Amino acid sequence: MIKLIAAIKKEALILLRDRVGLAVLFLMPMILIFVMTLIQDSAFKSLNERGIPIIFVDDDKDTLGISIEQGLRNSGMCTFNNTIDGVPATAETIEKAVSDGKFLVGIVVPKGATAAIRNNVQLLVQETMGVEEATAKSDSVEIKIYIDPITKKSFLTSVTSSLREFISEIKTKIMFQTFSKQIEELIPDKKNAPGNAFNQSQIIKYKEVYASRQIGEIVPNAVQHNVPAWAIFAMFFIVLPLAGSMVKEKSEGSVLRLQTIPTSYLIFLLGKIKVYIAVCLIQFALMLSVGMIFLPMLGLPTLVIGNSISGILLLSIATALAATGYGVMVGTIAKTEQQGAIVGSLTVLLLSAIGGVWVPTYVMPELMRNISVISPLNWSLDGFYELFLRGGGVADIAMDSLKLVFFFVITILVSLIINRYKRKI
Amino acid sequence: MTIEPIIQIKSLCKTFKGNDVSAVNEISLLVNKNEIFGLLGPNGAGKTTTISILCGLYTATSGRVTIDGKDVETDIDSIKQIIGVVPQDIALYPTLSAKENLNFYGTMYGLSGKLLKDKIAFWLDNFGLTEAANKKVSTYSGGMKRRVNLIAGILHNPKILFLDEPTVGVDVQSRNVIIEHLKEINKAGTTIIYTSHHMEEAEHFCSRVAIIDYGKIIAEGSPTELIKSNPNCSNLETVFLHLTKRKLRD
Repeated sequence: MIKLIAAIKKEALILLRDRVGLAVLFLMPMILIFVMTLIQDSAFKSLNERGIPIIFVDDDKDTLGISIEQGLRNSGMCTFNNTIDGVPATAETIEKAVSDGKFLVGIVVPKGATAAIRNNVQLLVQETMGVEEATAKSDSVEIKIYIDPITKKSFLTSVTSSLREFISEIKTKIMFQTFSKQIEELIPDKKNAPGNAFNQSQIIKYKEVYASRQIGEIVPNAVQHNVPAWAIFAMFFIVLPLAGSMVKEKSEGSVLRLQTIPTSYLIFLLGKIKVYIAVCLIQFALMLSVGMIFLPMLGLPTLVIGNSISGILLLSIATALAATGYGVMVGTIAKTEQQGAIVGSLTVLLLSAIGGVWVPTYVMPELMRNISVISPLNWSLDGFYELFLRGGGVADIAMDSLKLVFFFVITILVSLIINRYKRKI
Repeated sequence: MTIEPIIQIKSLCKTFKGNDVSAVNEISLLVNKNEIFGLLGPNGAGKTTTISILCGLYTATSGRVTIDGKDVETDIDSIKQIIGVVPQDIALYPTLSAKENLNFYGTMYGLSGKLLKDKIAFWLDNFGLTEAANKKVSTYSGGMKRRVNLIAGILHNPKILFLDEPTVGVDVQSRNVIIEHLKEINKAGTTIIYTSHHMEEAEHFCSRVAIIDYGKIIAEGSPTELIKSNPNCSNLETVFLHLTKRKLRD
């Protein structure tokens, strides 16, 4: 026990005196979280189809225009605008505003659109009821939609479907009213006429419910993704200083001396592992505080961490173990500091890219989604999604945690075997 | 005084993987208790490889080594308890102070508490390092680093001390201090196995030497015996050059 404490103390002192290394360990991931969250914020908004800026021009000033405006304002899928730089938008200015990238979608409802629908319905009703011979021609309504090429197709589809829905609703309403009027004329007892019954009958209602145990509805926004993702990345990035310190000990001769001392090699490794696990946990706590305190100061959403503190603790310890084990393995295999740095950084970058740190796995193609499950960073991220987005608990992240601990055990075993093999040269 | 061997080496061979030439080739040696035994030879002769096998850092390809009656191959853990090693490299943590380094290595040797504290203070004082004890090793001169490197190997009073070129790259003053203290340690009962390129130092320091070249022992005896047995040589250095020739080795 005294030997282990001495190994921990030695490792902690070495780490604390490496101020540049410490700055990289703690500042780098914090900066990454800030930068990546800010960059990806709009992308996530687009992904979630919320907050997309739409510019709307209502030249109709009648039922259709008003309905569409109300619908867009209440839908929550976009940010509604009817002015460009404070000036009311017009059919002429809207195209340029979209092509300049100020808005992703522009909609123009032309003058007389409602009147045209009304006229068409009138003709239809008259033909159906055989009231009089239709002589007038039907009008067509052209609603223009200007689209920025970067707009997601799924969002565009939802906008056009909504417009179709509004038009169809208006058409049905007008048709219903026209039929009612005709029936009122045919049936003398006006008390039984349908009147405004249309407005009272909303037979099918929709309620969107997220499959989450979370109170409220937490969607994977830039903060909910980037904070855990980059915190995991930072934890795995300790591979660099850890492997570096191990290679340094080899090249400086300390390992040589340690191998002649009557103390198990595992004690030295445990000293390192415990210190670096502590570093990982401090890193993680700092990253969470960035998401919960500092990012909201920049107008970004607040990180919601769910309800399971024990789950967070378990998963972060398991992640720290996996990261430390990987660092020990790289440090054991590498022969020079450069080798350790290159192998360590490249593999962590690769594993993080595969694991969904840079781009969430749910937007990856199927092939990459299938590959992502080999990355320990993905197991960890998946666990934090479970805790933060789906409101899961310890039971829900038990498998991910077990996989990470198993990864740690394997990497340490591999390190011990390689170390023994190297000594038998 | 009875002569009692503490290290016995029989037909020791070491060939590294991928190498055709043996680094150590059929070496047989006896090192007696309380001796200062010098293992001398040009660069790449096999000195460090031999010492590394004795300390359990390398495994021998063939042959047998016993230290204090224990087989290196099978009983290395108990051998580690009685040996001290001072490697050629400065095997210290440069960002730690001398005290912190010695605390760590001393604890790893099983020392603790007041005993460890007193031993550290004693040796730091003996080697003139008390004032610099709390400064980072990286700020030390070459001689100071060598002295701390030596203390780390002797803190636990080893029965046998392996020294791989302990005075390389240090000034005359530091070398004197190191050699004088090593003599005292030897007088206190520690057997010393020592490698060096300094023939003059070895001549005065060692009770017996073996000259090793191309992995083989080519001469063995006390410095005086070796000088006497080579008529045209006046000191150990001329004996060394006479036996190993003047051809460059690296």
